[in-house]
Amino acid sequence: MSRLSDIAIRLEGAIPLAAVPERRGGLGGGVAAILTELAARLERLSEDGSTALIDLRSLPMSATDRDELLDALGQGEVTATLDAQGTSTLRETAFAGIWWTVHRDRDNAITSELLEVSLVPQILAADPDDISPAAAALRRRIGAAVAAPHPSATSTA
Amino acid sequence: MDLLSFARGPALKIAMGVFFVGVFWRIVSFMLLRIRREYSRPRASLLRYVSIGLFATASRSWPHPQFIKRTGAGEALGYSYHMGLFAIILAYGPHIAFLGGLLGFTWPGLPSSVITGIAVVTATLFAGVLYRRVTSPVMRMISNFDDYFTWFITMLVLLTGLATSAHLGARYETLLAIHILSVDALLIWFPFGKLMHAFYIMPSRALNGAILARKGAAT
Amino acid sequence: MSARRGLTVGETLRKHGVTRRGFVKFCTATVTAMALPPWLGAAMAAQLSSGQRPSVVYLSFQECTGCFESFIRSFSPTIESLIFDVISLDYDDTLMAASGDASESALATAMKEHFGEYILIVDGSIPTGASGACCTAGGRSAEDSLREAAKGARVILAVGTCSSFGGIPFADPNPTNAWPVSAIVGDKPIINVSGCPPIPEVITGTLLQYVTTGRIPDLDEHGRPLAFFGNSIHDRCYRRPFYDAGQFAKTFDDEGARNGWCLYELGCKGPTTYNACATLKWNGGTSFPIESGHGCLGCSEPNFWDKGSFYAAQSTAEWGRAGESSRKPLAEFAGAAIAAGAVLGAASAGTGRLRQHKHEKE
Repeated sequence: MSRLSDIAIRLEGAIPLAAVPERRGGLGGGVAAILTELAARLERLSEDGSTALIDLRSLPMSATDRDELLDALGQGEVTATLDAQGTSTLRETAFAGIWWTVHRDRDNAITSELLEVSLVPQILAADPDDISPAAAALRRRIGAAVAAPHPSATSTA
Repeated sequence: MDLLSFARGPALKIAMGVFFVGVFWRIVSFMLLRIRREYSRPRASLLRYVSIGLFATASRSWPHPQFIKRTGAGEALGYSYHMGLFAIILAYGPHIAFLGGLLGFTWPGLPSSVITGIAVVTATLFAGVLYRRVTSPVMRMISNFDDYFTWFITMLVLLTGLATSAHLGARYETLLAIHILSVDALLIWFPFGKLMHAFYIMPSRALNGAILARKGAAT
Repeated sequence: MSARRGLTVGETLRKHGVTRRGFVKFCTATVTAMALPPWLGAAMAAQLSSGQRPSVVYLSFQECTGCFESFIRSFSPTIESLIFDVISLDYDDTLMAASGDASESALATAMKEHFGEYILIVDGSIPTGASGACCTAGGRSAEDSLREAAKGARVILAVGTCSSFGGIPFADPNPTNAWPVSAIVGDKPIINVSGCPPIPEVITGTLLQYVTTGRIPDLDEHGRPLAFFGNSIHDRCYRRPFYDAGQFAKTFDDEGARNGWCLYELGCKGPTTYNACATLKWNGGTSFPIESGHGCLGCSEPNFWDKGSFYAAQSTAEWGRAGESSRKPLAEFAGAAIAAGAVLGAASAGTGRLRQHKHEKE
C-alpha cells in the first residue's frame, strides 16, 4: 500500500534527462562539426568579408555538448550587454571574429542563441537612419543647455 | 476513416472472424471424422498406446539420426525462424500491448533493440528458407502455390514490421497501417492453407503414434 | 484601433518603446523558432518596420476560445504581444471594447475599407445543423459570416483544430453538423494552424511569416506550415532513446514513469502526430505533455477524438468502445466465431462421415 510520502517529487529546472546516455570523453561529433563550420566561415570572413549567423538552438545539442562548445570557444576581450525588450549578452570568444550571443526577453527566458562570424555583431551597430535624428536631438539638447545653464557652471566652488 | 483506424478496426475484426471460424471449422471437422476401424487385436492397452502416441509427438519433432545428415539443416533452419517469429510476436513491447489489450493481461518483454536484431536474423533465415525451397529439386517438386504464398505473406508481415519499428519509408501511421493490414491478410489466409500445420502437427503425430502403437509397431 | 493607421510598423513600435534592436531581437526569435536562417531576422525587421500594418480580422465561431487565449496569452509578453504592433487587429469580438451594433459596424467597416487585402483569422468550427442556428452572432449564422468575410480576405488562417479539421464538435456523432473552414470556403488560400490549442509561437510565427513575405509558407498535405508541422513529436521527442531501448512506462506512477521512460504503452500518439511541441514546447519553452509525464493526445491531427482511446497504445486494436476494456467484446466475438466454426465443422464432419460410411460399404 503506497503512501503520499512514497511519491517521489523532483524539482526540475531544465529538461529532466534521467538516463540519456552521456558521451565518453573527447569532443563530441556535434561540437567538432560546429567548430569546423566556424573555422570555414572565419576563413571566408578573412577572404571576402562575408559574415555568417548560426542558430545554436537549431542544432541538436545536449547540455554536455553546449558546455563543451563554450569551453572550446573560450572568452575574448569584449562582453557587451544589450537592454532592449530584455537583456541580451554578446560575448567575443577567444577566436577573433566569433561572437556568442544570447538574447533574453523581459522574463529572462532565452529567445534565441546565436554564433555570429563577423567583425562586430550586426545588432550592436547603430542604425544609419538613426544618426541624423540623433544629431538633431543632440543639437537641441546643446541649445537647451546654453539657454538655461546648469547651476554648477556659475558656482565658484 | 483513415487507413490505420481501418486496419486495426474493421479489417482486424473481419480477419479475426475468418480466422476463428475457419480454424475451428477445420479442427472440429477433422476431429469428428472417424478413424478407419481397426479390426486387429490391440497389441497394447489403451493407456499405453495413447501415451506412446503423445510421446511420438515429441520424438518425431527431430529427424531420426539416420536422416539427420540429409534433413538436419532444413529442420534447424525451420526451428530457428519459428523461434525467432515467436520471440518477436511475444516479447516485443508494442506486440505485448496489442495482445494485452485483447487478452487483458501483459507480460515482460525484451529490449526493442534485441527484438530488432532477432527480426533481422529471422528475416535472413526466412529468405534462406525460400532459397532452399527453390534450389532443392525435391523441395521444388513438392512445393505449390500454398507454400510460396504463405512464405510471401509471412515475409511481408516481417518486413513491414521491421520498416514500422525503424520508421523507414513512409510516415509512421502509414507503415503501422500496412503492417497491421498484412497481419490481417495472414489471419484471413491462415485457415485456407498449410499454415494450419500449427494445429495439425501435434494431433497428427500423436494419432499416428497411437495407431501404430496399437498395432504393436511403435518405434 | 484605426487611430494607429497611417503609421508604419516601425513608427508604431517606437511609440510603444520598442527600439530597432528590440524588434530585431523579436524577429530573430521568430525566424529561429520557424527554423529559418537566423540572418532573416534582421531582414524581416527591416522589411516590416518600413511597411504599413496589415489589417487583420479575427472571427470566432464554434470554439472554446482556447485558441485565441493561446494567441494572446504569451508567457513572455514582450515577444508575442509585439504582434499587435505589427498587425492592425481591426476586429475581434473577445478583445474589443465595443459590442452589439457598434461591433458589427466595426467589422463591416474593416472589411469594406480593406476589401481584398485583410488577413482573416478564424477559430472554431462552422456548424450547419439546424440551418446554422447552432452558432449565431448578431442574428447571422457562422456559415454566413464566414462566407461574407472570406470574400474580401487575402488569405485565411484557420487557427486551431476546430477550424482546421472540425475538432471536438466534428467528433462522432457531430450533433451540430460542424465543418472545418476548408469545407465552407473553397476559393481562398487557407493555412491550417492546427492544435488544441496551437502553440502561441506557431500562430504568431505563421502570421508573421505571411505578413513579412506575403507568400503562403510551404504546407503539408493537411495545409499546415511545414516549418512547424513537418516533424512528428516522436521524431523530436527527448524520450526517444527509451523507446528505442524498449523501456516503456506501464502505469502513470511506476518506476519507469518516474525515470522518464517512453509513454508509448500509455497511449502516446507522438509517432502519428505532427506539431512543434517537442521542440518549441509550451509556456515559453517550459515543457510539453510528454515531458510532464502524459502521452501526446495527437490534438493537431484530424479526427483525433475518434481514433481510439487516448490511453491505448498505437499498436492495439480498436475493438469495442474507447475507454472500455476489449476483453468482453472480444470474448463474445471470438466465442461466436468459434461456435460458428464448430457448427460448420460438425456439418462438414457429418458429410465426411457419410462419405466414409458409403466408402466402407463398397
